[in-house]
Amino acid sequence: MSNQKENKTVFKAPFGGLGAGLFINGIGCISPQRTFDNSEFLAEVKEYNTNRLTCVDADYTKFFDAGSIRRMGRLMKYGTAAGMIALRDAGLEVPGAISTGTALGLPEVSQKFLKSLIEVDETIVSPTTFIQSTHNTVSSNIALLCKCFSHNNTFSHKGFSFESALTDAQLLVLENMNNILVGAYDEVSDYKYAAMKKTKELRGEPCNNLDIYGEKGNGVIAGEGAAFFVLAKEKTENTYGSFVGNKTFYKPESTEEIRNHILSFLKENNSSLEDIDVVITGISGAKETDATRIDLNKNLFTTQTIIAYKHLCGEYMTSSAFAFWLASKMMKSQQIPDSVILENRNRSPKNILLYNSHKHNHSLMLFKAC
Amino acid sequence: MSELIATLKVQIIEQLNLQHLKPEDIGDDQPLFVEGLGLDSIDALELIVLLQQQYGIKLANPQDGPTVFKTVRTIADYITAHKK
Amino acid sequence: MKVFIAGKGVISAIGNNVAENLASLRNLQTGVSKITVLPTRYAETIPAAEVKLSNEELAQRCGLNSGEPRTAFLSSLAAKEAVDDANIPNFKKWRTGFISANTVGAMDKTETIYKYYLEDSNTDKLIEEDPYDAGYVTELVANQLGIKDHITTISTACSSSTNAMAYGARLIKANQLDIVVAGGCDAMSKFTLNGFNSLMILDTNPCTPYDENRKGLNLGEGAGYVVLVSEKVAATLTKKPTTFLSGYANANDAFHQTASSPEGKGNFMAMQGALEMSELTTKDIDYINLHGTGTSNNDLSEGVAIQRIFGDVPKVSSTKPYTGHTLGACAGIEAVYSILSIENNIIFPNLRFQNKMKELEFSPVTELLENVEVNHVMSNSFGFGGNCSSVIFSKHQ
Repeated sequence: MSNQKENKTVFKAPFGGLGAGLFINGIGCISPQRTFDNSEFLAEVKEYNTNRLTCVDADYTKFFDAGSIRRMGRLMKYGTAAGMIALRDAGLEVPGAISTGTALGLPEVSQKFLKSLIEVDETIVSPTTFIQSTHNTVSSNIALLCKCFSHNNTFSHKGFSFESALTDAQLLVLENMNNILVGAYDEVSDYKYAAMKKTKELRGEPCNNLDIYGEKGNGVIAGEGAAFFVLAKEKTENTYGSFVGNKTFYKPESTEEIRNHILSFLKENNSSLEDIDVVITGISGAKETDATRIDLNKNLFTTQTIIAYKHLCGEYMTSSAFAFWLASKMMKSQQIPDSVILENRNRSPKNILLYNSHKHNHSLMLFKAC
Repeated sequence: MSELIATLKVQIIEQLNLQHLKPEDIGDDQPLFVEGLGLDSIDALELIVLLQQQYGIKLANPQDGPTVFKTVRTIADYITAHKK
Repeated sequence: MKVFIAGKGVISAIGNNVAENLASLRNLQTGVSKITVLPTRYAETIPAAEVKLSNEELAQRCGLNSGEPRTAFLSSLAAKEAVDDANIPNFKKWRTGFISANTVGAMDKTETIYKYYLEDSNTDKLIEEDPYDAGYVTELVANQLGIKDHITTISTACSSSTNAMAYGARLIKANQLDIVVAGGCDAMSKFTLNGFNSLMILDTNPCTPYDENRKGLNLGEGAGYVVLVSEKVAATLTKKPTTFLSGYANANDAFHQTASSPEGKGNFMAMQGALEMSELTTKDIDYINLHGTGTSNNDLSEGVAIQRIFGDVPKVSSTKPYTGHTLGACAGIEAVYSILSIENNIIFPNLRFQNKMKELEFSPVTELLENVEVNHVMSNSFGFGGNCSSVIFSKHQ
């Protein structure tokens, strides 16, 4: 049922998370790397000589019949498929609820519609692109495919989109639901790419995705992707690890404030910096925003293995979902691929902290291997 | 008429993204909706767009859709009858 | 744990604030008329419910730069009215959230910029903020309100602002926040006007929801917000809250991308879920503010589901003949109307209704009902993608 029964349990502290953690029982990720096959883990890293990374497609005929696939735009295909991979991975046919995040919805199909209405000066436009333009299209498409009649939410708030879906999932579990399918998806549209170029946010070409953190060059590489997870109360044979909690903060005024948020977040979750083995940093190649991240890496995370991920998936507002996937894979395999290591302090990935930010949106997540 | 039917099949495949079909897969009298080709209400709207864009024919009442869009032949008949 | 409504704010085609909206609702004054603000080729042929103020006028009233999206102006005016209305002592000391909803972000800006972009992909008009970025509008207003602790945006088509209110209430119940300003906003755009037109569900006359001869919906624009507070905050208020949020539920119809199932499965589950949470029976509901868009499909599915749950159907009406369908804003605006109904013991009519639908045994209220006891109001909102949400407001004695 869709109603949320009240539960006496409350979170320990503001946005500190559940404390006990939710088990990650299924994952599905489609990204500019070959990530759709859960039996692999970045065995081969894809190198791009461009500032725009696009998803490596899975075989979508495995997920949709020819009749339903024909109207789907690119993001709808890879977003929905990532959700289905996570469900299958968890051995679930129907999740308890679905909560998703997308910063920009489905810009390619929306712009196709916009383009046609401008070109014909509002005379006659085709409805198919319009009906796919609402931000909840992927989330509801998954519900439609697996007949999930329960809670279905879509958050569209920049760098808080995936984070809000995670909070929603934690609340749902408090409200006695289970097996929440939570995920995020975004795509880099031609328009967004042009805007990123114009505002100089983007790294100039020629560039190489495997070489963006060094001194030379400035700017991000545009990216995209979809990642979904089944979060549950109980551990299964397929469990990757536990998601302990997350916290978002808006417009911090100094590195000091960020530092305080990190330390208080760890404390709220009965953890401390000493417990953390691996830090996933949101370092992106843009000098200005990286300055704070590098400062923290140098002065706060002095004993942890530091890893980066945006050379693999590019920069986009829900990239923290890719980092969530990375954390899940590392916890289960107890391995850290060489291709993500920035600073190796030979720690095994038991307790993992993610700190990412997109402009004013800052986000923390904590993971614990089982 | 047979020429119009052949052209229509190509246009329908294009407009409705039926890339998994070839024109010869669609029978002249095969029902397009539900039990036939499996088209739905959104496709009916797309066919209205097709008529307007390609043939300048405006189907004012969507309720007429099911009769007009029954088969490729009924569409061709409608076009022949309404084309100026 | 109760979540109280401490304040409300609204702007729509029938008024720029709560008092003006209430006056228009009482005077049976519709906001549906000829399009005069949005530049569109359909200005003469398709009516809509616009806020009849230019962007410059709105910007001046809300204190934002006139180059910002219209959606932000509407949001700002209604959200500020709600916060002022709540008049919470020491507002800053509480953990506060702003949870807003919209469906097309800064679309009014995009339509203009995109035109230049099509001519030149390197145009100087390209802006950093992406037009599809629903969160951009939310942050502009959050900054004005000085809210920082938790900010997010929900975009689940036409059920968006119900889900924003529900998410806010859940965060308060889970002791994550003390105060949440929740609701939604959407401005008129060529994008939505042409989109709904391509689906052939726009009425070319003022809409007539739940009428046997209904022809579709009218689009509208506006914003509506409520200030949700915890019991602890409620105890500090100088003005005692009149209402609380007693139930809400989010369900999915999982039937079709845009259409509702004939039996209204998602609608049924949303209403049922909200009732269960509120621990009320169907007999306790005095009034249902319908989603009632005026499309053939929506009104039938919603009506059938209501009949199935309620049997003996209470007083119902759609207020969309007044405001048009304001998409991401509709549940926020209708939340304010639901609360007004409880506060004033009044039920608003379903304007222009004439003929009962043949599939239904009930018909909506057709004239203003005053001095009726209204203790519990259910408000429905359903959207594309099968997103169905219902919420119940109850009188605080």
